[in-house]
Amino acid sequence: MILIDYSFLLIRGLGITLWISWVALLLAALIGALIGLGRTSKRWSIRFLTGVYAEFFRSIPVLVTLFFVYYGLTLLTGINLSTFVAATIALALEGSAMMSEVVRGGLQSIAKGQREAALSTGMKAWQVELFIVWPQAIRVMIPPAVGVYVSTLKASSLASVIGYVELTKTGLLIRESVRGHSGSLLILVVIATIYVIINFAISRLGAMLEERNNFVN
Amino acid sequence: MSTEPGLSVIQTDPILRVDSVTKSFGKKIIFNNISFNVQAGQVVVIVGPSGTGKSTFLRCVNGLEDIQSGRIVFEGDIVNAHSKNIVSLRKRIGMIFQNFNLYPHLTALENVTLAPMKVLGESRKLADERAMDMFRKVRLEHRASAYPSQLSGGEQQRVAIARALAMNPSLMMFDEPTSALDPETVGDVLAIMEELARDGRTMLVVTHEMGFADHVGDRMIFMDGGTIIEDGPPSELLKNPKEKRTQQFVNSVLRPN
Repeated sequence: MILIDYSFLLIRGLGITLWISWVALLLAALIGALIGLGRTSKRWSIRFLTGVYAEFFRSIPVLVTLFFVYYGLTLLTGINLSTFVAATIALALEGSAMMSEVVRGGLQSIAKGQREAALSTGMKAWQVELFIVWPQAIRVMIPPAVGVYVSTLKASSLASVIGYVELTKTGLLIRESVRGHSGSLLILVVIATIYVIINFAISRLGAMLEERNNFVN
Repeated sequence: MSTEPGLSVIQTDPILRVDSVTKSFGKKIIFNNISFNVQAGQVVVIVGPSGTGKSTFLRCVNGLEDIQSGRIVFEGDIVNAHSKNIVSLRKRIGMIFQNFNLYPHLTALENVTLAPMKVLGESRKLADERAMDMFRKVRLEHRASAYPSQLSGGEQQRVAIARALAMNPSLMMFDEPTSALDPETVGDVLAIMEELARDGRTMLVVTHEMGFADHVGDRMIFMDGGTIIEDGPPSELLKNPKEKRTQQFVNSVLRPN
């Protein structure tokens, strides 16, 4: 069967998809944590600015962000971004907006009394955050963060539009070259199946992580 | 409010001095012109109807809330919720909350050792040893490795007392420590508080437990409508209240219906 000949390419495409979505997720987590922190700030101005950031990038389709980064930034700055860099930035922008929501929700889920009890023992504000708030908040953040990863991984398929050869683009290229053969529709089924398996695995992994971190019995 | 660093008070003074303190949230006045002193070793019980600012007052003493006017002086240091030195002040004031506020992600032992290690810089070994002393004190040495969710309310509150004790504070504040407990565990917590009082701990207790107030308190302060109505020996306030409002309150709690 013709697909066997292309299996190496599919595995490589899957690897690239996992890689770009993983890099984008790490960036999204870092930026999202900062934005999320800002959204719980006491300062009105910081809450406003970070809120605008989050609403902005959550509202724009990733594809539009991607076009803006890939073509727009090049026009504005003259810097030629590679398709990988452009796609990573676009995914990270959208991901960080979603992550900021996750972080904000996690931090706000911690009862006020926790901070007060810790402050009352003489801990400094940063110690309270480090030892009391974040260890509890992260447990709350894990399930929705897994959701963000899954949607980032799916959104990474849009990078195919600007010619970045990840899993979807690999599939489309294979389909092109086998046109007329029986494999041309089958290849899409195979690609879809790979996405399902990978995302299911990620969800299971996330559930295990959640289970392991559960301190309520 | 004056916050000059030179403005401190001589140590022989009361451990806690409260001078004409007023607290408001926006336009809403919580309490107004509160003044009293607490001497070292005293057990002062604050009673009164709900919503008269008793809990908020405790929170002002350790700077969880700021005050709008007046002055709170603890061991010669002015309490200012917005200053940096509030952190060092809180080390010397233990606080017990109505809802225990134990850290759910840490074991009972870790709840107790965290502040001694992070704030006082104790080694884990020393902190563990001292924590076990505290657990014996609250009679929970067999539950040290349990998580808060595995403990009953009474046990959780006793861990919270151990957590405060581990910092060896010179004042312990109790904010309705038994209000969230099942009736059958209230006694355990009160017994431990009574023991602390006998050890000579200085305590400021907001409670509705009149038996405890009468039996253990050196002084009782009756608050209503954001002011101190009466301040004196508990037996006096309970048996011969001078003010009409104290009378009404005492009647309503001692002889319900």
